Amino acid sequence: MGAMMRAILVILCAVGFAWGGTVPALADGAPGAGDIQVAQTMGDRELTVVLRRVEPVPGPVHVDVVTHVGSPAGDLRLRLSRDGTAVSETTVRLTAEPGFHTGTLRVDGPGPWELALDDGQRVATIPFVVPARVMSPPQNAAYGGFVAAGALMLVTLVVALRRGGVAAFAPAAGVVAALAVAVTAALLSSSVPPPPAPGSDLDPTVDNVTDPYANARAAAVDHSRPPVNLVATAVGDDLRLALTDGSTGRPVDDLLVHDNALAHLGVVSPSGKLWHLHPVRVGPGDYRAKLVAPEPGRYAVAVEIARRGGGRQLLRTTAALTASGTAVPATEDVDLDRRIAAAGSPSTVTARFGADDLQPWLGMLGHMVVVGPVTGEVADAPVWAHVHAMTPPAPGMPDEPDESVAAFGPDVPFTYTFPLPGRYLVWVQAERGYAVRTVPAVVDVPAAGGAAR
Amino acid sequence: MSRRTVVASAVLAVVVALVALVVRSTAGGGATTASASGERYTVRLSVEDPRTGPNSLGFEVTDRSGAPVLPDEVTVEPVMPQMGHALAPVTALPEGRGRFRAPAADLPMAGPWQITVSLHDASGVDHVVLPLLVKG
Repeated sequence: MGAMMRAILVILCAVGFAWGGTVPALADGAPGAGDIQVAQTMGDRELTVVLRRVEPVPGPVHVDVVTHVGSPAGDLRLRLSRDGTAVSETTVRLTAEPGFHTGTLRVDGPGPWELALDDGQRVATIPFVVPARVMSPPQNAAYGGFVAAGALMLVTLVVALRRGGVAAFAPAAGVVAALAVAVTAALLSSSVPPPPAPGSDLDPTVDNVTDPYANARAAAVDHSRPPVNLVATAVGDDLRLALTDGSTGRPVDDLLVHDNALAHLGVVSPSGKLWHLHPVRVGPGDYRAKLVAPEPGRYAVAVEIARRGGGRQLLRTTAALTASGTAVPATEDVDLDRRIAAAGSPSTVTARFGADDLQPWLGMLGHMVVVGPVTGEVADAPVWAHVHAMTPPAPGMPDEPDESVAAFGPDVPFTYTFPLPGRYLVWVQAERGYAVRTVPAVVDVPAAGGAAR
Repeated sequence: MSRRTVVASAVLAVVVALVALVVRSTAGGGATTASASGERYTVRLSVEDPRTGPNSLGFEVTDRSGAPVLPDEVTVEPVMPQMGHALAPVTALPEGRGRFRAPAADLPMAGPWQITVSLHDASGVDHVVLPLLVKG
């Protein structure tokens, strides 16, 4: 009997150690937070701000500020704050040489944070969430179960040695029960749905970032929010975008970074010049981008945003601007291979940049903006599209490449189904040598002949 | 004792066999298929082990009553709706008896794809949309 008890104990110990050894490895797979890349049009500068891998805290936050060709030299003050209180500050000296400029800041706790960029004339803020290291309830149960099993095993050993085999059955049964709980919880933990994410689904607070499971019962509800109303007006040298909630009229202050920007702004002048800018957040629902109009008239304005809760929106409006400058956006002449199909069938436009030294811009190999069909004023064109050419996936590299990788191209293909026949204005954009190259084109799309769609 | 050992090993063997059976049935390979109908045609898509990269997409085209038919041209238009990304259309080659094949259609990402098949014939174009899940 005693020998058998000992054998059972040895087996239980072995099982316990085996499980205990494997479970922490599974649970230590920390929630991986990737880089946050945000394009910002700060006055005359087009910047890409990269928040490197924001880890659970406390710790340093490395911020890269990427400048582009034509960006003036100067100081940029970076400030990290939470609840309106600055916690950490640094100054990044931007040189006239385009490329990466690095600063290091500190965060001291999980929750919603704000990175402020101050160039002396305006302050842009980027809200982001610092995650906490969180364990799900089943993971906690698994850990608790194994700890209880270990403790009870010691009790069983002591009781078996002091009181004999039969008395040891009670704690031994406890060991089995604790192991059953732990193993069940460990097996279940992978199938438990994650709670709604603070930041992308819910308004982040320190409480829900620290313990996202506390009010996780709302997981089945639809988190999406009402559409947004856009008003574009000229304020000084800036185009001001006022974003208000379409249902409440309140300022919209919950934009998520999507495609590496809080908002993607496209503006087309009456004569067909394109600006592709990334307005900075200067206040709740108040976004600004510098735009000096070279000609008077009605400009087409389109803004792509993603609100907290999911879903992207295209907001379109027009803005009547007066001429206040002469500079027009630079364009380039690059060979475009066009395979234009009838309206309703996919067309392919391939830009041939000649060398494989293109850099990803906004996480993409290339962008194609389509406006048309143009019959009268450009601002009245019914179709607006923003087509992407994606960077080829790199196995083993979960993060998207940043602009330091200049190894893409030479061909940048786009496939788009023009919905209506007619004349479209098209711009292909890709980055090379830290400068965004814009290739304008006019595309005539024939009507589908006898098609049935 | 020896009888007990025999019984124990028999039980063990049965358990191992059951586990193996379950694993095999869940991991079971075979072609991924989907079928859908447009106004005039029914298309059955069959892909052997869809993976990221070039895939050989097979199509079986019939009319609505199930008889094999031969449209003039079959084009394949892959789209990944989640990413808002369309790829250039490819033409599927006829293999006879209503069968068509796009031998190397590139599907560069894992996830749900939407394969639109356009069937061109004398009376116009019929579109059939088929789902395809691509594994990493």
